Amino acid sequence: MARIYQIPSHARGWLTLAIIAASLPQLWGGPLWQAGLLALVLGWRALMDRQRLVLPGRILRLVLLVATVGATFYSFGRLHGPEAGTALITSLFALKYLELVSKRDAYVLIVLGYFVCATILLFHRGPAMALYVIGCLILLTASLAGINYSDTHARRRQHLSVAAVMVLQALPLAIALFVLVPRIAPLWNMQLDSGQARTGMSDSMSPGQVSRLTESSELAFRVQFEGEPPPPRERYWRGLTYSYFDGTTWRQGSPPGWEREQLFYGGRGPSPDWYRALIDAAADRTGYRYRVIMEPSRQRWLYALAVPFTDFDGNALARDFRLVADGPVNGAFSYTVRSVDVTGAVPALGDAERRLMLDLPEEGNAQARALAQRWRQRHRNDGALVQAALGYFREQPFFYTLEPPRIAGDTVDEFLFGTRQGFCEHYASSFTFLMRAAGIPARVVAGYQGGEMNAGDYLQVRQYDAHAWAEVWLPGQGWVQVDPTAAVAPERVELGLRGAFESAADGAGGDFDGLNRLPVLFQLQQWADYVDFNWQKWVLGYRQQSQRDLLERLLGAVTPLRVGLALLGVVLVFSAVLGLLVLSRRRDTPVSPLEREFARLHRALAQRGLRAPDTVSAAQLEAAVTRRWPSAAGAAGHWRHLFEHLAYRDQGAPGAADLAALRRRRRAVLASLASPRRAQ
Amino acid sequence: MLKQAWQRWLDRRLPRARQVQLDQRRIFIFPTGYGFLYLLVSVLLFFGGINYENNLILGLCFLMVSLFLVAILHTFRNLSGLSLRAGASRSGFVGGQGSVEVVLVAQRRPHRALWLRWLDQPAQEISVEPGEESALWLNLPLSRRGRVRPPRLRVESRYPLGLLRSWSLVSLDQVCLAWPRPQERHDCPADGGDRERQVASAGQSGSEEFQGLRGYVPGDSLGQVDWKGYARGRGLNVKLFEEPASGRLWLRYDRLEGVPVERRLSILCFWVQRLSRENRPFALALPGAELPPGQGEEQRLRALNLLARHGDTEAH
Repeated sequence: MARIYQIPSHARGWLTLAIIAASLPQLWGGPLWQAGLLALVLGWRALMDRQRLVLPGRILRLVLLVATVGATFYSFGRLHGPEAGTALITSLFALKYLELVSKRDAYVLIVLGYFVCATILLFHRGPAMALYVIGCLILLTASLAGINYSDTHARRRQHLSVAAVMVLQALPLAIALFVLVPRIAPLWNMQLDSGQARTGMSDSMSPGQVSRLTESSELAFRVQFEGEPPPPRERYWRGLTYSYFDGTTWRQGSPPGWEREQLFYGGRGPSPDWYRALIDAAADRTGYRYRVIMEPSRQRWLYALAVPFTDFDGNALARDFRLVADGPVNGAFSYTVRSVDVTGAVPALGDAERRLMLDLPEEGNAQARALAQRWRQRHRNDGALVQAALGYFREQPFFYTLEPPRIAGDTVDEFLFGTRQGFCEHYASSFTFLMRAAGIPARVVAGYQGGEMNAGDYLQVRQYDAHAWAEVWLPGQGWVQVDPTAAVAPERVELGLRGAFESAADGAGGDFDGLNRLPVLFQLQQWADYVDFNWQKWVLGYRQQSQRDLLERLLGAVTPLRVGLALLGVVLVFSAVLGLLVLSRRRDTPVSPLEREFARLHRALAQRGLRAPDTVSAAQLEAAVTRRWPSAAGAAGHWRHLFEHLAYRDQGAPGAADLAALRRRRRAVLASLASPRRAQ
Repeated sequence: MLKQAWQRWLDRRLPRARQVQLDQRRIFIFPTGYGFLYLLVSVLLFFGGINYENNLILGLCFLMVSLFLVAILHTFRNLSGLSLRAGASRSGFVGGQGSVEVVLVAQRRPHRALWLRWLDQPAQEISVEPGEESALWLNLPLSRRGRVRPPRLRVESRYPLGLLRSWSLVSLDQVCLAWPRPQERHDCPADGGDRERQVASAGQSGSEEFQGLRGYVPGDSLGQVDWKGYARGRGLNVKLFEEPASGRLWLRYDRLEGVPVERRLSILCFWVQRLSRENRPFALALPGAELPPGQGEEQRLRALNLLARHGDTEAH
């Protein structure tokens, strides 16, 4: 039984629209030839549909296919991987449209469309894009409805409304499935391409080379506190420590020969001494409890207040009190932390560690070394020496600026005794250098400082909050945090970077995020971020742990049986409710607005005890009303008059004004029933 | 064996009727190949979402699955409530095709893109909007003389999304008559009339005496219409001829002694056709049934129906 299916012309529009809509996000950021290809295909197709062109031959189509694959390889350097794969599938989607002849082709095209929709979501995860993809899904569904209705009388709009109704009806169940279907761990590892550079911390710090970090207002992470958050000046989000300095650049370092087990503890195996010491010290203190929701950083460093304790769900604690993720943070990632300030709990510094924390290049920066020696001679006590150094930064004419002059050579000397203009990196670097030169173990800490509260609910930490400070080892106190920048520019720490520049009269940050200063825009931005935060937290970040928490609250306990029953129950209830809605007869009856008006009066009278048969006419209804409530005779007569006029006149269906008039008369009838005296 | 059991079950569940309204009891529903492909895509998206730890892709997957469930209801709804009524039927010769009319009545909701077919005939597509009636003629191959009941009619629909196929097997109480296949035989099995002249006149009609014209009445043979006069604008008239003096022809079953029953009927059929084509009056006598003399299309159909029903024990 050979049947030749053609795509009805009323369906083609939706198909075209679906293809354009689904391809658009990819075309926006993708190579230009993709847009060209789609335009070529659409143009060719349009001419084909008008019988101006024929379907390109097999050879030409093959050439196009090979060219597309070649261009993809040329643009991305490979054919696998998410970016190249997405580009390829989007292009194939367009090519398939060119050879669309039969219904089967249309099905293949629509299946490809679902994949293209999924690839959009690989790279765009905002709420707006999610809505957009639902729109694409409606268009694809409308195309399906169109190709399955080959009647020539079908109207275009019909397909869209069928599709929209169906997708909307499907949404509640989809949401229930989203909540209930158990999230399982990835079956195999598929990392998004991490070749793309992202702004954020780097694993080295070279004061003198201006960091672009501070210019970005991109979000770094959000923090939601249980209870009161710490005051701004205590919000030091530690990310990584630099302990090795080669004269220009600070890098991460660890004592030579130390094993991973000595440096990290991830919750498995016997806990090392330092972890036991920390956990013992923290046992009877509350500290701060909070949840950090990271933006993708493509790095493994996590941010937390000093001495963070976690449940080791995807992260580990390092000996220098920082958290490290098990893998690069490529998607939404969150972790819960309890931070207790027990930095002094680590009893002593080992020899190798002390050597590392005192290590300086053999030579260079002689002036700084001399200054440190002078302080050493004056202060036997390490604490006093630290204070002296801070006093030096406070009293000497140092300036805090984001645009310091470039320095080269002995960067510490140049800065301390030359330019004296810089920002946190310069201060942290030179302070740590001075401390080491004076014989105090010290290291640079990089991370973020501050953060803004949004709606009193959570803290936003942005890239411009990036900060660097120092930690010194003081006998008896352990590691102590020292922020030389705070000595120079206390407002940087108190008010945050934005605050510091807003209050600065010299306009050093004159062009800094100028827009953000407008209160309305700022407010809007905050709202948008609030939406985004909850999206991150409840949609993107709805993972195994948060699912367990929520289901525990909803179901009491999370057992496979309960979840299974809940799923079954939801599906059954959904089907039953929707079945009643879709299959109910009452909704099917085609009624004109006029009939509906009539039915309303009929129903209202029935509620007041006047039961009239369903087939009653307007005149009979009026007579019945008059018999029962003589007082309403006038109003009922008016109503009947207008109803009959509208129903039997020749001018066609009544307009909105006519219906409004009829509605008023119906209400008058009912009102005169309710208060007979007033009606008289 | 299995097939017979299935047929018996169907006959019990969906008995033959003049009019059938499709409801839960009568509608079957199952995913189409594309429906399975769609579900496969959803499963792939599920694994994609899990592996990329992308909740939005998972969400898309759940929306697609949910849409599939909604599609079940809508596909069912598209058939549910549709009424099918047995309409008229057209008879035909054995070996040819008859056809029966099926009237589809949409009461409250539209029923779109319905495919109707039986056996391995190509499906016919039809849509009915609420409050409308649509009729469809379905061909029925006639392989055996007599009353032919159409097989179960398959009413199928994939609207709206093509993910599922809902169908019903309707058996309408309808009958199509299969006339015997005409079989040529030279001598006419007839009584009365001038047999010599009869044979001679075959093929050159109008050898009778021309009597005059009368106005065309529906049912008159088109062969007797005065087309030349019609072309000259004199209206549609029929030429009248004088009946042969020897009286009417009686086509008789009995005159074909020794010929098997079906063949006898076929020969009679041939002569009914031939005499009608020549617009000659005739009568038909079968055992137990007789058709009085007459002429024209009406007479022909009556004669053919009589031949078709010969030996039929079932009362009409």
